[in-house]
Amino acid sequence: MSALELRDVSKVYGEGANEVRALRGVDLSVESGALVAVMGPSGSGKSTLLTIAGSLEVPSGGEVLIDGVAVSAMSRNERARLRRRAIGYVFQDFNLLAGLTAVENVSLPMELDGIGARKARVAGMEALEELGLTDRASSFPEELSGGERQRVAIARAVVGDRHLLLADEPSGALDSANAEAVIRLIRAACQRGVAGVVVTHDAQLASWADRVVFLRDGRVVDQTRPPDGPESLLAPKAKS
Amino acid sequence: MSVRHALLALLSDGPKYGLQLRQEFEDRTGEVWPLNVGQVYTTLQRLERDGLVESEGDGDEGPQRGFRITTEGAAELATWLRTPPDMTSPPRDELVIKVLVALRLPGVDVRDVVQVHRRYVVELMQQWTRLKDDAADDEVGFLLVVDAELFRLDSVIRWLDAADGRLARLAADPPAPPGPALAPRLRRRQGVRR
Amino acid sequence: MSLALEQRPRTVEVAGSDGGAARRAIFRWSWRLFRREWRQQILVLALVVFSVAATIVGVALAYNGGQRLDPAMGTATSEMTLSGSDRADVVAAQSAFGAIEEIDHQRVAIPGTFDTLDLRAQDPAGRYGHPTLRLVSGRYPSGAGDIAMTGSAARTFNVRVGDPFVANGVTRHVVGLVENPLSLSDEFALVAPGQADPPGQVTLLFDASGKQLGAFRPTGDPTSIGTRSTLNKTAAAVIVLALETIGLLFVGLVAAAGFAVMAQRRLRALGMLGALGATDRQVRLATVANGMVVGVVGSVTGAVVGLVTWVALAPGFERLVTHRIDRSHLPWWALAASMVLAVVTAVVAAWWPARSAARSSIVAALSGRPSPPKPAHRFAGAGGLLLAGGVGCLAFAHRNQNAPNAFLIVVGTITTTFGMLFLGPLFLRGLAAVGGRAPIALRLAMRDLARYQARSAAALGAISLALAIAATVAISAAAAAVPVAEANLANNQAVVSLSSGDGSAPGDGSAAISERTEAEVRSLQPRVDALATSLEAQAVIPVAEAVDPASPTVSPGSPTGSAGGTVSEVPATLGKVTAVTHGGRKGIEITSEIPLHVATPALLTHYGINPRDINSNTDIITGRSDLAGSVVIAPRGGPTCDSAQSRCRVIGARPKPGPAARSGPDQWHPTIQTLKLPTYTSAPGTLLTPHALKEFGLKSVAAGWFIQTRSPLTTAQINSARHAAAAAGITLETRQSQTSNTQLRDGATAVGLLVALGVLAMTVGLIRSETANDLRTLSAAGATSATRRVLTGATAGALALLGALLGTGGAYVALIAWHRSDLHPLTQVPYLDLVIIIVGLPLLAITGGGLFAGREPVSIAHQPLD
Repeated sequence: MSALELRDVSKVYGEGANEVRALRGVDLSVESGALVAVMGPSGSGKSTLLTIAGSLEVPSGGEVLIDGVAVSAMSRNERARLRRRAIGYVFQDFNLLAGLTAVENVSLPMELDGIGARKARVAGMEALEELGLTDRASSFPEELSGGERQRVAIARAVVGDRHLLLADEPSGALDSANAEAVIRLIRAACQRGVAGVVVTHDAQLASWADRVVFLRDGRVVDQTRPPDGPESLLAPKAKS
Repeated sequence: MSVRHALLALLSDGPKYGLQLRQEFEDRTGEVWPLNVGQVYTTLQRLERDGLVESEGDGDEGPQRGFRITTEGAAELATWLRTPPDMTSPPRDELVIKVLVALRLPGVDVRDVVQVHRRYVVELMQQWTRLKDDAADDEVGFLLVVDAELFRLDSVIRWLDAADGRLARLAADPPAPPGPALAPRLRRRQGVRR
Repeated sequence: MSLALEQRPRTVEVAGSDGGAARRAIFRWSWRLFRREWRQQILVLALVVFSVAATIVGVALAYNGGQRLDPAMGTATSEMTLSGSDRADVVAAQSAFGAIEEIDHQRVAIPGTFDTLDLRAQDPAGRYGHPTLRLVSGRYPSGAGDIAMTGSAARTFNVRVGDPFVANGVTRHVVGLVENPLSLSDEFALVAPGQADPPGQVTLLFDASGKQLGAFRPTGDPTSIGTRSTLNKTAAAVIVLALETIGLLFVGLVAAAGFAVMAQRRLRALGMLGALGATDRQVRLATVANGMVVGVVGSVTGAVVGLVTWVALAPGFERLVTHRIDRSHLPWWALAASMVLAVVTAVVAAWWPARSAARSSIVAALSGRPSPPKPAHRFAGAGGLLLAGGVGCLAFAHRNQNAPNAFLIVVGTITTTFGMLFLGPLFLRGLAAVGGRAPIALRLAMRDLARYQARSAAALGAISLALAIAATVAISAAAAAVPVAEANLANNQAVVSLSSGDGSAPGDGSAAISERTEAEVRSLQPRVDALATSLEAQAVIPVAEAVDPASPTVSPGSPTGSAGGTVSEVPATLGKVTAVTHGGRKGIEITSEIPLHVATPALLTHYGINPRDINSNTDIITGRSDLAGSVVIAPRGGPTCDSAQSRCRVIGARPKPGPAARSGPDQWHPTIQTLKLPTYTSAPGTLLTPHALKEFGLKSVAAGWFIQTRSPLTTAQINSARHAAAAAGITLETRQSQTSNTQLRDGATAVGLLVALGVLAMTVGLIRSETANDLRTLSAAGATSATRRVLTGATAGALALLGALLGTGGAYVALIAWHRSDLHPLTQVPYLDLVIIIVGLPLLAITGGGLFAGREPVSIAHQPLD
């Protein structure tokens, strides 16, 4: 059973002359523990794919299954509950709520789920500790650097039992060192069993994924083959 | 890749044997560029001929012969470090040529050709990234070389993306017949780099 | 989390409820945001505070404005005044009504005036009367030689505690100062029970039903019988309710505008909350919680501010309503309700933007794109319906003239306001269409108003409401402002009367004239001149009154025994006469009675009136315009009367001569001509022409002198002049302080305008602060400060103009509905006020907006963190 499965998903915005077909029959399956990158030029529908996968939007056609359960059968409130229990988001630049400290931001999804503030805080601190942000736990978003903010966002995306991490250009506004740190954290989360989807136009970021899916004009046009292993790259003698 | 100057750089630490030089070269570049012993000795001979290094032994050909950098050699190394490589003339890039050819050939979807290359390059990058992931933090030389390769490949991807976008716009809004002026303009440039 | 779970159970339970923990978390977030951003909400907060405080002060004033108890009855329900010699009825009343409190009265003449001082023998601990007495200093009189007085009485007689005081031949010592807390204007002296002997009058206080009272047949002739009325409380309740409604509507409108702005600012955060898995209800709560915080903080602060203001205003208010006010005597339920309602209003105001925030797409919210505004015509239909319903309610509420339906008034006000609110977007669209061809800054301002209609419509509603209140006050004031005589005299006028004080209140036209010979009058002239000099008079004009040669004479030796020695006659007056039946006796009641003087050449010259301007058939010239329907009352014939009993004077109401007289007895309806004459009640301002004197056979009698001084008279001047007058056997009348209704109305209009202006400034600030980004971009694009000035000025001006038009229009619609049975008063249009509202306010807004907007934006590049 895939953690996330998109079956023939399509999405149409507007109507009549203003109709925009953002997605046209996309199939995608992400297993637990796998990190999938979705690449494509702007306007290819990759952000729409992510919002539909994360149940923020309803597809015009097709079916989204999360942990094997069809999202279309759920009410608005059930989808909200699904988001806070199973799905974590990391966006490009706006992730944290002003007015809440780092640890409060991280534990917010759990609190929204009705878990007591103290218990949620403990879980939040654990998640921050994983990412080496213990000393920034009481800082407010505006006191954190861009890289730190993205790291807190990742901690929030995986806090509790969330196992579907969706990231939209998570390193968009960061320099290459911070960008690498962020994608390393996402990859580490996936290695612990989280299913991850990263939407990006950055090939270096995408190259961290187990599988890269190429999107063009709302269709999946190609995807990478499973790697043969690094040795093939180097001259036969190199890795002696 | 200037093996000449790499050997000069290695010798600036102190006198070394040929085999030792090969080993150190591979260590420092993270074993990305393999070097055979013959190449080392040929290069050393040329350096000696140019007076940039001198051998320690008495004309004893073989692996036990040590080399030392000369004053001229050190000066040459210093000059080389600060001399920018020639980037003024475009390299004759095979990928670019392939795409240009595909553009002219009837019955070929250029964007599919572009996508084939894009996928291949991304797969390559995935492998490099895996290597980087496995490397320890202190393997600085290796990491720098991998980064260089990733950035180079990244630039290829970017070019492919740009080409893709240009072609997509072209398809959506076909202009007057593609200008043949492109080739002459490129040809007019002198000294195409190898 | 730290363990890689290979076979993690992957079923997500999506059913279930959201616990209190979630609500607490969202509340915490809202509270934090409020603490961080309270400066951005300070406008809304200030308005909530202001509205609650104003409502509380208004409620307190309305509640305490009316009398709690009748100042004459205390806690009794009934009162009967009997002649002092009528002991039989006292005993009869005692047996009829059981417990009775008796208060004896004597009159003490105040030298040199018409006034008398009421000497009361009353028990301070009396069963019913105790609330009418309060000790200010010293002690209550207990023995035969003790007397206490009110402060004003002590000043009049120039006595202090410890001084001896002679009244009606009895010498007593002043032992204390007292007052009637129910009527501060009640001037009296107090002696121990039974010490006013013999009493001139006796007042009985008792509890009796109307039936009991009707069954009681006094043997004598009671001067008055009264029962406590309860109408005041109902009226106060209506005012309290209406004030609360309007105050809270106000809070709601302004808060809605504020919260719409706030929700827009937090749109991305709310989208993020939704992305994190908050349900619609939780997203709504995030904004509603903020409304609740603002409501609670605002209403508590407002209540404190309001109560402090009330306590500070109370002393001044006591003087205004002339009774003592218990500061803690407040309708606490109403205050608590207004606080709770303010919170509820803030929550409801926050609920609307919260709802649209929760409903909008999370993806759109995350990217900060607001959902497109709903088409204006959809609101307009609902607005029209609401407006019609509200006006209908107002029209129905006033069906019963005497007991307006408070509930319908409130519902009508609310519905009318919401109707206007819903019509707002339509007007804003129209404005944008009109401004479509204007220069860029103007076009941008108009388009922004239409684009962000959620907040601009609410702002427009608040401004319209404020201006509607101002317009309503102004229009109502104008409608009621048939120039009413307000005081007896100007503060730089005095009237010297030939009669001496006889107990009648001055100015009610019932003073009898002691007729003097010309020689007597001439002999008085030097003394009057001396008096005038001491008052620094500019002019001293002899005045005359008219009497019927057959007028009943007043016998000397009235009960107080202070009348002059010569024959007195009752002069002609002007008043309205209605037939009444009281206690089975038929009689005539005279209301609005004013004195008449003779239009002597000297007087006309003083007023600058050319006698040729007076029409040949004019009987009376006056400056007042409320005299229609009045008749001349010139008593003649009939029995000799005691002037204290004014009732007998109407017996001789003179029939109009001519054909009407022949057809039967009729009152004399004079031909009245209005000229520029003073409207003070005691100044000779309503004058009988020589034509009238001749026509009706009245004779002119010297009545005294009218003195006009350079500067307002001081208390010292008045006191010394009074003594001089007393020594000469004449009386002096000066201005009596009196609250002016006109001033009150003018003040209300001004306050309404100020409030409207304040709201306008606040809302324009609110809206323009949101377009700071536009301003930055404009500045970056090279816009000069002139562009920014035009932008802000146009926004303010457009809102003010629309608000003024809607507010005035709404006020007129509501008032027409209210007055629909008699639209005549509405023809009095307060042009000046309306011009100020419709033209002045927008101009002021444009100027103000332009002045404050010229400043360069603080930082062009700086963008606040989301």
